[in-house]
Amino acid sequence: MSLYPQPQSQGYGAAAFPPPGYGQPSMYAPPAFSYAPPAQPVYHVDPTSFRRDYSTRLAELTVNSRPIIQNLSMVAQDYTRFADIVVQCIESHIRRVPQWMKLPAFYLLDAISKNVYNPYANCFAPLVVRLFLDTYEQVDQSTRSKMEEMLLTWRTGSPNGRELFGVVPQLAIERQIWGGESTQNASSSRFGTSSSVSAAQVLSELEFVLNQQERALQMNPYDKASQHHVAVLQQLRKLVQAGVSQAELSQILNQLRTLAQSAPTSAPVSVPPPPPAARPSYAAQQASYAPPPPPAPQSSSYPPPAYMAPTPSTAYTVPKSEPIDLASFLSSVQPPAASASVPTASAPTNNIADLFSALVKAGVVSSTGTPTGAGATAKAEEPSKPVDPVKDAARKYRKAILKHKIKLTSADISKQRSHVVEFMYDRLPAQCKQCGIRFPDGASKKTMDDHLDMHFRQNQKAGQAVSRGHSRCWFVTVEDWTHDGYVDVKGKGRADGRKISSSAAAAAEAAKREAELRALYVVVPPGDEAKPISCPICKEPLKSEFLEDDEEWVWRNAVKRDDKIYHATCHAEATASKSTLAVRLRNEKTGSRSRSITPEKLRTPPKAAVDGVPHKSKSPSPTSPVRTKRKAEDDDPYARLEGKGDAPPAKKFAVSA
Amino acid sequence: MADGKTYQTEVNIDVNTRQWNLEAGTEYRFELDPGTTVAIKLAHGQAEIFGAELAEGSVYLFGFECKAAVYTWQGCTIEVIGLPSTEYVSDETPMHAYANVHLALEQMRVRALRTVHGSPPSSDDEADTDANPEPPRVLVLGPENSGKTTVAKILVNYAVRTGQDWTPMLLNTDPGEGGWAVPGAIAAAPISSPIQTSTPATTLGCAASSAPTHLTSNALLPLAYWYGHAETKRNPLLMDRLIRNLGDNVAERWDHDVESRVSGLIVDTPSSFAASSGAQNEHRHALIKACVDAFKINVILVVGHEKLNVEMQRTYGNRMTVVKIPKSGGVVELDASYRERVRKYQLQNYMYGKILQPPPGLSTKMYLQGGEQIPDLTLNLAPVSSIVSFGDLTLYRIGEETMAPTSALPIGATRVVSEMQPLLVDPAQPGSGLYNAVLALLAPPNPDEHERYDEEILDLPVVGFLVVTALDIPNKRMTILSPSQGSLVGRTAIVGSFEWQE
Ligand SMILES: [Zn+2]
Ligand SMILES: [Zn+2]
Repeated sequence: MSLYPQPQSQGYGAAAFPPPGYGQPSMYAPPAFSYAPPAQPVYHVDPTSFRRDYSTRLAELTVNSRPIIQNLSMVAQDYTRFADIVVQCIESHIRRVPQWMKLPAFYLLDAISKNVYNPYANCFAPLVVRLFLDTYEQVDQSTRSKMEEMLLTWRTGSPNGRELFGVVPQLAIERQIWGGESTQNASSSRFGTSSSVSAAQVLSELEFVLNQQERALQMNPYDKASQHHVAVLQQLRKLVQAGVSQAELSQILNQLRTLAQSAPTSAPVSVPPPPPAARPSYAAQQASYAPPPPPAPQSSSYPPPAYMAPTPSTAYTVPKSEPIDLASFLSSVQPPAASASVPTASAPTNNIADLFSALVKAGVVSSTGTPTGAGATAKAEEPSKPVDPVKDAARKYRKAILKHKIKLTSADISKQRSHVVEFMYDRLPAQCKQCGIRFPDGASKKTMDDHLDMHFRQNQKAGQAVSRGHSRCWFVTVEDWTHDGYVDVKGKGRADGRKISSSAAAAAEAAKREAELRALYVVVPPGDEAKPISCPICKEPLKSEFLEDDEEWVWRNAVKRDDKIYHATCHAEATASKSTLAVRLRNEKTGSRSRSITPEKLRTPPKAAVDGVPHKSKSPSPTSPVRTKRKAEDDDPYARLEGKGDAPPAKKFAVSA
Repeated sequence: MADGKTYQTEVNIDVNTRQWNLEAGTEYRFELDPGTTVAIKLAHGQAEIFGAELAEGSVYLFGFECKAAVYTWQGCTIEVIGLPSTEYVSDETPMHAYANVHLALEQMRVRALRTVHGSPPSSDDEADTDANPEPPRVLVLGPENSGKTTVAKILVNYAVRTGQDWTPMLLNTDPGEGGWAVPGAIAAAPISSPIQTSTPATTLGCAASSAPTHLTSNALLPLAYWYGHAETKRNPLLMDRLIRNLGDNVAERWDHDVESRVSGLIVDTPSSFAASSGAQNEHRHALIKACVDAFKINVILVVGHEKLNVEMQRTYGNRMTVVKIPKSGGVVELDASYRERVRKYQLQNYMYGKILQPPPGLSTKMYLQGGEQIPDLTLNLAPVSSIVSFGDLTLYRIGEETMAPTSALPIGATRVVSEMQPLLVDPAQPGSGLYNAVLALLAPPNPDEHERYDEEILDLPVVGFLVVTALDIPNKRMTILSPSQGSLVGRTAIVGSFEWQE
């Protein structure tokens, strides 16, 4: 059995190659093309002339130009007897040109091998490994990821759905760039994942699925589901980039492949209408140029490729990945009625939305996005280490800093080359790919997980709060400001894993409270699962969810009051508008610490004046409802709000700014 | 990249995107025209903007006439989408000098931390002869357009990037600049994550909003005092007092938090502190001294100004380290109208937030603004407009009646009192100057009448800024734009000389 079973489609996806010019929907308008057809040259039978001619045309392939690639592959198809020359020309072209010109030539190689196939795939096979790897080594990161995408399609690129250049070259390349069972490329992942399923491999496949979804989003920019899918996948990507365990990688990979199977194949099929400047003559020509076996679904969907959505038969199986019961994953998050044994067949778009929840359910990741295995791994390592690695690293850092012979004099600072790179980069090998913040040598995985968790949470919150609008906070009082360093949020480090500051503490506190509220649920009365209900406060629907453990349907983030179901968060806001964060924080502070400002420390009147001021909260009210400027009546509803906490929310109406 | 001689610095990728290959130790400098934005992607390698590192593969947005530089220590490739009005690569930067200053400050922090921990002096540390090492408390001085703020920002960013949990205090004492508040204020904020660069409205990071943020530098809680004018010469005595108020509170905060104290502080100053000509001389020395005293300065950095360096050496050289550091060639001359526009951006940003539109040709929707991942959800703010009676809000100006230059008066003149005198402003009076005026809403005064004193409002910090958007004199009402909900009844606000119109 093939490792990479057969795909059903041979055509390249429309937006396969993101760079403009090649594969952009606007340029891609079968059966006609908006560019002028190149005149077909008449070749002499003479191989030397053919070689000269082909190289000349190849030299024009400086950017990712679909017309040129198309033309060059057509010539290749017409002159298969000169296949050796074509292959030589392309190889030497790729090797000779500057790195930014290499990718387009690889797309040509890809197009010819897939669409003409015979004899080109065979001709390229002996040299493709070296050529790919040499090029990969020279190009920049974004080109690399495009090459990886291309490599993925080669797995099933042959007409019978097998490896385009054969299993040996395919594995040879993959092993080199993603690491195989034994060869492992530690630098491919910032946080170095030692694994047989490498993070790079998972990322590459993730990129592939993400690409499909982003294309779907391009077609339909306002599609909420696609937006959400893209967001989830991006989150997952960040998770993987940050480093997850081997088991988690395998599971994520498996999930991805299932998803890839069921992902909508709309992208390659949907084709914009032909532009007005259609060239019928060329269209006719085009029709005659049908790729060899098996026929592509559309003869016009020329080259390539490639990144069409795999069809259900494209289930990759990778040795080493742990068998996962996908049905149980996905069914667990689908309505019982819909839970079929073939979950991938139902509503494919939902599957991506479900992916994350499926991973959560499966315990691969926690609901906040932290890999569940992460903490355990870190803990297991700790006992074996006699010293705290963080403290140890800090000690070493301090020692190294003091070793430098540098004095704060004009001469010293302007004459020396600085050693700052050692301290800013080399000693901080782990970097968050989202914000660029680095972590010191010896920082625990937990620290980094917490940091990523913070990103995830903030994004989640940003998405949730969209209907309410945000506003600038009032500044804190002197009293709060001078005691800021004291804020003690039990056991919680700062959001980015460092020391807590009050704003972060406030955010952490608010996040914790919100998470608690969101965890509340109300059990759906049997039979009401499909009934849509809305929160009386915000009017938005309550989301139902299946609790696997209890085997029942619940509304999440919900509370029941007087026979009405509210969002727990909305209800809490409405009832507790006077209890603000600042008040809570202050209570916590005074509860846990005794603050004593001794009189002799009061140097100036301001502090004497300020200390003892009743703590009128200046925190932002959480009830701001609209995003535009809000207008309040002159009878000052806020006074009412503050004076009588249970008064109805202030009248608010939006006015255009 | 292997062949340093033949590679091109700039490569057109497509009509909107250009790629720049930056060699180690060089920087790509750019300036934007009003209304344009640019996206920069770090395609490969390492790079930083004013000390804040970029994440490889991420796309960063810039706008509102941003002028900045992408520096690389190790070399990198960046992609620039959109068209800056000016762009070039320079290999002459003062970054080595700035980094050396950072390392020297870092040594001071490490030594101070050892003392706090009670560790013995390190045997490696030859310079450690000081029995009582102090953390760095740095005053950055320099003339106009010398890049003082950039120096302060780089030093703070380097400190927070070391991974040593430093939270240095950053102080802005330039009322013309505004810092995290709005122009007219001076303020202090502890910094715990690198300050990003995206617009001149958020040069020092962002004050907190209710939106979730990814970086603490976009959720700062500054302590701010309201001076009310752009020029320090307008009321130097008030400046002096506010600087000392800031210093007192920083000191008190550190009394409670010794660990933060070890991180030290960096004070950015107005260029008037360095203007050595004529009339300003008197007050600037007083204000420099106010900073030195208030913040217990032990390092003075003079950015590219020999005369000032000599002057500072003479005055303070026996008490502390005074070092001249080079000025960056990338610093752009800023004219008055540019500063005026930036102030407007700052107020807009304070009230409404500022969302940058991606430049044409940017294919991805995933970009960062000021380091924030979903700017359109989190950087869009909704202020509150409310109508209040004249009597609800008590308004003052500080010493406005006798506003002649201090230097025109004999030293120790009788004006002292009147310059600091809070004068009630009656909105009903024609010519009150309130229409479009920016007001600083003060923290409430001491509720205990016995603790109050005449000039108390000079010592109250700002809790927020308001703008009078309409005056209805016949009905004795005015419309106030405020950043957030909250009652204004019974509150006190101070009027300065700033106006703002949407
Ligand atoms: Zn991060
Ligand atoms: Zn609700």
